[in-house]
Amino acid sequence: MARVPGLSADRPAFEASSFERALAGRLPSRWIGWRLRLLVGTALLGCLALFAVIRALSHAPTLDAQWQSGPLGQPVLQASDDPRLQPHLGRTLVLVGGAGGAPLAPSAALLFGAPRWTVDDGERARLVQARRTLDALFAGGSLELGFDDGSRVRVDPAGRGYGRLGAGFWLLAAPALLVYLVGAVVFLARPQLRTLLFAVIAGCQSLSLMWIGLDTGRGLGPTAPLPADDLPWRLTLDLATGAASVHLFALYPWRFPRPALIGATAWLGAALAAALAWTGAAGGLWWWGQAATLALCAGAAQVLARSYRAEPHPAAAVMRRLLLALLATLFVVSAAVAAAARWQPALAHDVATAAVLVWTLFLASLLVWVPFLSRARHLMREFAMLAGLSTVATSLDLLFISLFSLEPFASLTLAVFVALGIYAAARQWLLNQLSGNTVLTTERTFEQLYRVAREVQQHPERDAELLGQLLRELFDPLELLRVPRAAGQARVVADGSALIVPVHEAPGPGHAGPLSLVLRFARRGQRLFTRDDARLTDRVVEQLRRAVAYDQAVERGRTEERLRIAQDLHDDIGARLLTLMYKAQDPEMEDYVRHTLKDLKTLTRGLAATEHRLSHSAAEWKADLQQRLTAAHVDLGWSFSFDEDIELGVVQWSALTRVLRELASNAIYHAQATRLDVTAGLERGAFSLQVADDGIGRAPQDWAHGLGLGGVRKRVKQLGGEVRWRENGARGIVCEVRVPHLTAPR
Amino acid sequence: MAVKVLILEDNPVARSFLCRVVRESFSDANAITEAGDLDTARRHINLTGGDRGLHGTDPFKLILVDLELPDGNGLELLSELRHYPATKIVTTLYSDDDHLFPALQCGADGYLLKEDRFEVLVEELQKIVRGQPPLSPAIARRLLTHFRGAGGGDMQAPDAGLMAATGFTTSRPVPIEKLPDHERLTPRENEVLTYLSKGFTIKEIASLMGIKWFTVNDHIKSIYKKLNVSSRAEAAVLASKQGLV
Repeated sequence: MARVPGLSADRPAFEASSFERALAGRLPSRWIGWRLRLLVGTALLGCLALFAVIRALSHAPTLDAQWQSGPLGQPVLQASDDPRLQPHLGRTLVLVGGAGGAPLAPSAALLFGAPRWTVDDGERARLVQARRTLDALFAGGSLELGFDDGSRVRVDPAGRGYGRLGAGFWLLAAPALLVYLVGAVVFLARPQLRTLLFAVIAGCQSLSLMWIGLDTGRGLGPTAPLPADDLPWRLTLDLATGAASVHLFALYPWRFPRPALIGATAWLGAALAAALAWTGAAGGLWWWGQAATLALCAGAAQVLARSYRAEPHPAAAVMRRLLLALLATLFVVSAAVAAAARWQPALAHDVATAAVLVWTLFLASLLVWVPFLSRARHLMREFAMLAGLSTVATSLDLLFISLFSLEPFASLTLAVFVALGIYAAARQWLLNQLSGNTVLTTERTFEQLYRVAREVQQHPERDAELLGQLLRELFDPLELLRVPRAAGQARVVADGSALIVPVHEAPGPGHAGPLSLVLRFARRGQRLFTRDDARLTDRVVEQLRRAVAYDQAVERGRTEERLRIAQDLHDDIGARLLTLMYKAQDPEMEDYVRHTLKDLKTLTRGLAATEHRLSHSAAEWKADLQQRLTAAHVDLGWSFSFDEDIELGVVQWSALTRVLRELASNAIYHAQATRLDVTAGLERGAFSLQVADDGIGRAPQDWAHGLGLGGVRKRVKQLGGEVRWRENGARGIVCEVRVPHLTAPR
Repeated sequence: MAVKVLILEDNPVARSFLCRVVRESFSDANAITEAGDLDTARRHINLTGGDRGLHGTDPFKLILVDLELPDGNGLELLSELRHYPATKIVTTLYSDDDHLFPALQCGADGYLLKEDRFEVLVEELQKIVRGQPPLSPAIARRLLTHFRGAGGGDMQAPDAGLMAATGFTTSRPVPIEKLPDHERLTPRENEVLTYLSKGFTIKEIASLMGIKWFTVNDHIKSIYKKLNVSSRAEAAVLASKQGLV
């Protein structure tokens, strides 16, 4: 429990700076003024841009036909609403000619391929060339299509119209817009360099998604207005994403000493790779591009690892894990594309399209998710799990297809099963890793809550301390601070790295104004606090308060009940005993009743008061003995010592009171002593009592134990001790009582 | 002249027992008036000049009051008789400070435990009348808390006079204006009380403090008086707050 102070002492800078940030940086509670206007403006701009793209797309001339990749890598006409094309369904297209330029022998790559994901340089050059030619043909007006049976058809390309953009486009346009908006929101919420970098990443990925969306529904159509050679463009977007990530993680969650240097290095590397792509100078451009992207991704992960070592911010841990997952996915996707190009050239474009789609969607979903890590854990976690699972399944599917030439269906089934297996095996671990799920079981939580509630009830002044202890066990934070601030309810601050919990301390002498506990870095910096955690904490605090209130009510009820019984006993029986005593026929009977009355009073006092401090009890015993002995003209020698002033329970108090009284009575009435020496002490929990008189009693072993001495035996036994009598030198008796453990039973 | 005594006790057996105790205690011929409930007692007191005993020609010199009575609590009568010039003694079965302390605050000059032996009671009664009131450790403890709460740290005060200006910063449920010195404990009284709360006898305290036995006793009497005065001041503040005065 006490490991945190040491850590803080090691790192004074950590201590000083981190807490300031925990409290300072907070999202504006409301979107007001220029932020709101700017956000609305940005959203409108995004929608307008999307609309412009949609409009351009629906008006771009294209063929009303759907194509499939034939066995020879040529497009095969699959469906068409054009009556002129319908007779040729199922035929392979071998030639596209027209007024716009030289005729083109189309390949299936034209349908699905993208230069960005074409591995081989030569093939890419051919593809780019073919796309340019096709663009020129479409620009020239009507086209002449030649099929493999020698037939030729003249068709007029026309705009698709809004309704026929294809489901793929819409499905990609929506996340693209979403990512764009998330980027805008994050930046506008706190316009800083780091949020700007996030916005850059989001913007790049939004464009990438848009690009893929535009590509999906095109078929055998012109690439315009997009450039025919999209590799430099799209690679630049990916490189910018990587460089921005490196730069971002140099700033957040831990600010490196020289973030600009790291950022500049990343940006320089990205710019070099991009320049290489633009000039087309190097061979194996795809390989270079992928290597650079992967390197930037790995670099970002490295920066995060270093950041986590410097300050164990949970965000760093979570992000690094996500980044590693991304890196792995990117690697698998690249490998699948490369493998397909090498061994399954016919499928290469399918694989590339699907793989890239999956990877980009995965990244996009993370981008949407990450800014709200600490908001609603549950939903987001499931979403992320699902996204990850489908990514894994698809990647595996593609890998199987490209490596083992499995049938698509068999491959898909296999991939799904493998992915499900991985999911089932690693779900819990993944969940724990991803969000640092609390390790405490409900049972243990309840147990601790109960225990702490008990303690709080006994020591209300330690409320804050005990609550802190409970929260420590619940969340295992790296740091727990007390701050003199009032807080309405538990709140997550500093992007989920800290949790502020209000403490409702019982007003008392030590009460010093409002107090809150601040927990920082849950699970030793492994996980982020979420809103769910804050709600849980609120409920825990509430339950604690309720438990204590309930306990107090029960205790109060018991005390009241005891008091009532004591009162009744005392009033009714006491009054009657008193009358009986006054009416006693002889002194012996009178003494007997008086004795009974005293016992009754001891009993009722024991009932009425729950605790008796040892020192207070000793004082009363002494005063009581003194009074009685003085009246009987017996001297009292009193010595009482204790090393701890414990609280006596009801049983102990009344037992000791009666033992002492009994022994004194004995000395007065039976032994006819003139002096009584009482020595009592408590040493390390062991209680000893010695009562010595100088009376006429001898040979205690021969005594018949009547009511009095039997009572003493019984009481001492009740305390778990033993009693013995022996002769006191020449005159009198010593009674020795030993109780090995006189500690208040709870 | 006969000493007039009022004994308020509902149990007739106990009443006659207390009569015997009173007769035994004082050699003077005494006139004992017995009352079984508060009303009767009030009537007798009114006959002797009301609750201040000013107009009467022959007030009671000694009043024994039981706490539990059929028509109320003896404390009521005690607080009515705050200014009645008699020695007021609580006779009770209750020996705990929860019951006795309020009685002392109401102006009782001492208490007798009814179950004590006859001889003990006679001796105790004589002591009280002579001005040696009993003070059990529990009650001494209560007194300490009482005066510490009202007086603000007398324990630490080397001289109570100096404390008067500064010692009242602690808050109390019923805030009391600066108490005059005669309502606060002197360091000596405080010391005596502390010893009493630890179970020391007066004789032991005298030797521990190096003073005379009767000086200790004077301190105790003074504490009694201050308790009465301070609780009266408290009551007055309370009354004025509630608009009663």
